[in-house]
Amino acid sequence: MELFLQTLLNGLLQSGIYALVASGLALAVGVVGIVNFAHGEFLMIGAFLAWALSAYLGVDPLISLPFAALAVFGVGALTYRVSIRHVLLAPELNQMLLTFGLGILLQNLALIWLGGNTRTVTTPYQGSSLSIGELSVGGPKAIAFGLAVLILGALYGVLYRTTLGRQMRAVAQNRRGSQLIGIDVERVYLIAFGVSCGLAAIAGVLVAVLLFASPTVGLVFALKAFAIIVMAGLGNLTGVLWASVVLGVSEALVQTYVPGGGGWSDAVFFLLIFATLVFRSFRGAR
Amino acid sequence: MKKMLLTGVLLALSSAGAVKVGALLPLSGAGSVSGQAARNGYLLALEEINKAGGVLGRPLELEFADDGSSPAKAVPEFVKMVTVEKVDFMVGGVSSATSIAISGPAKQYNTFMAWIGAAAVPVEDAFADHKYFFHYHPWSYYNFEAILDYFKHLRVTKKARNIAIAYEDGPFGSAGINDTVAAFKKAGFNVVMTEKFKTGSGNFGPIVSKAKAAKPDIFYWVGYDTDALPLATEIKQQNLNVGLIYGTPPSWPVGFEKNRLADNVAGLSLWLPTSPNSQSRAFVNAYRKKFGNVTEEYFAPLAYVNLKTLAAAINKAGSTDKDKVAAELAKTNTQTPFGPLTFSRSNKTRYQGFKAGSWLSFQYLADDRVPVYPLKSAKKTTVWGR
Repeated sequence: MELFLQTLLNGLLQSGIYALVASGLALAVGVVGIVNFAHGEFLMIGAFLAWALSAYLGVDPLISLPFAALAVFGVGALTYRVSIRHVLLAPELNQMLLTFGLGILLQNLALIWLGGNTRTVTTPYQGSSLSIGELSVGGPKAIAFGLAVLILGALYGVLYRTTLGRQMRAVAQNRRGSQLIGIDVERVYLIAFGVSCGLAAIAGVLVAVLLFASPTVGLVFALKAFAIIVMAGLGNLTGVLWASVVLGVSEALVQTYVPGGGGWSDAVFFLLIFATLVFRSFRGAR
Repeated sequence: MKKMLLTGVLLALSSAGAVKVGALLPLSGAGSVSGQAARNGYLLALEEINKAGGVLGRPLELEFADDGSSPAKAVPEFVKMVTVEKVDFMVGGVSSATSIAISGPAKQYNTFMAWIGAAAVPVEDAFADHKYFFHYHPWSYYNFEAILDYFKHLRVTKKARNIAIAYEDGPFGSAGINDTVAAFKKAGFNVVMTEKFKTGSGNFGPIVSKAKAAKPDIFYWVGYDTDALPLATEIKQQNLNVGLIYGTPPSWPVGFEKNRLADNVAGLSLWLPTSPNSQSRAFVNAYRKKFGNVTEEYFAPLAYVNLKTLAAAINKAGSTDKDKVAAELAKTNTQTPFGPLTFSRSNKTRYQGFKAGSWLSFQYLADDRVPVYPLKSAKKTTVWGR
């Protein structure tokens, strides 16, 4: 029973970091309408910023978190102005190829400038945990989970309680209609894409604390984020948290209870994507 | 103008007919720490070789290619080296997965390979019939022999009985895992957990939970440097009460020794810069002079020894004829930072360099890697976590 509860807890804690990565991707898909294959690379930039600020200036990653988010928001906004906006009306394949290319470019720039080495961040709370009976709650993962809940709550609040949020929803529903009623669509897209990248950076900072920073660190998380937004429904922000929990807990259960489950855990997200798509098409057919 | 022209002509003449060596290394990806270390070792060796007159009277040329720690990238890079760059010899090769992937093209082009890494037994199977394959790194069963010897010592001194094993699911971690478990059992240990994981995933929560339930004395993991910190973090967070955490990644993360989570973590290495061997001291001094620091990664001296011995064999052969160079390299008997190097048969390949006796176990103690076994080279006794 104790192992089962710890497994559920492990899955729940892991889902926090998944939700953080997926929330940004969901925003890009939901508002801008673009599937950003470079999302993992914006996470990577955040991870490297956290590492650099910690290694060279001694800044704690949690303190550098807002700076990393702002900096990557800027990188995202610039990326939008320079490239994304030009393909928004192009066929989806072109959009995907562009973001895929952007991802490769950013990854290789990191390789050229920073090398392929794994960089780790040292913090006093890295190995911290809270014991509840025999169960352990890891500190950084609990922070990630708390942040994910907070950020998703804040995003929900912005989308449903502010003018900018209403504009975002309007643009997501009908771009031309929004233009006709005077919404600056370009500005909304730029902010949404920048925030999406900023959220990836926040996840990246936590990934640097939990794992490491490296040019390829974003790939695994981006793949899982895709599974989450498919489960939640493309662009559905509110579904991101539960979909992350489903993925995190499923992986933990497979790892713990399926023989050789550690090798199967990465197949879980493919299986969930497959099951979700089949279920949706089955429901649609009815 | 005339001077420039003359310099150009001289340069062109000097490189014409030069011996060309290709180095395939993981300069990025999961094995990049080893790859970067090996690159530095090669650069140092290259400088020394060319200062001493080069190879066959001309400066040796060395071309690097990044296999990205990925078989899919390794194959085209290898083929490009052999067919486009037209290198005379290939060196490098850290990862087992990439080495298996290039075994086909290597045999197709009959490439001369002086290989420094790739310890998994499937690599040995893949190159068993390749007559120009020289393997410097001990095969995994030699590594395991050294580990088992250390664990037997811990059974006597620390009453260690139960071992939990976590291994990555690629060829490096998985090949021979059944033999490993069987050997531990035969030696009188209880293997209380055997779990695989995806390297680089960082998701060790469930594995550590299972280990906690199994109550091991030793937590033994086989993976890459990317797994070291996430695993150590999870073990600390879940308060896994274990006597020793023992890992065998080919290299460790940069700066890992400075992290408090690394304290008492143990590992296996072919070499440490503190080795009293005179060749090792000379290597450390030369490395420090060239790069301004000291490496703890054994792939740096291994690559250094690799290129120096290959260059010496080519010079002795007096040509780049593969048979002649192979015959000379096979006769190698030289002192290295790891001890003496000679080539003899392994279980399946013809030319195997270092074997079990070269390994040592160390522990991260006070920001440093301190040798703890074998006792003849130990600086401290093992710090047991219980």
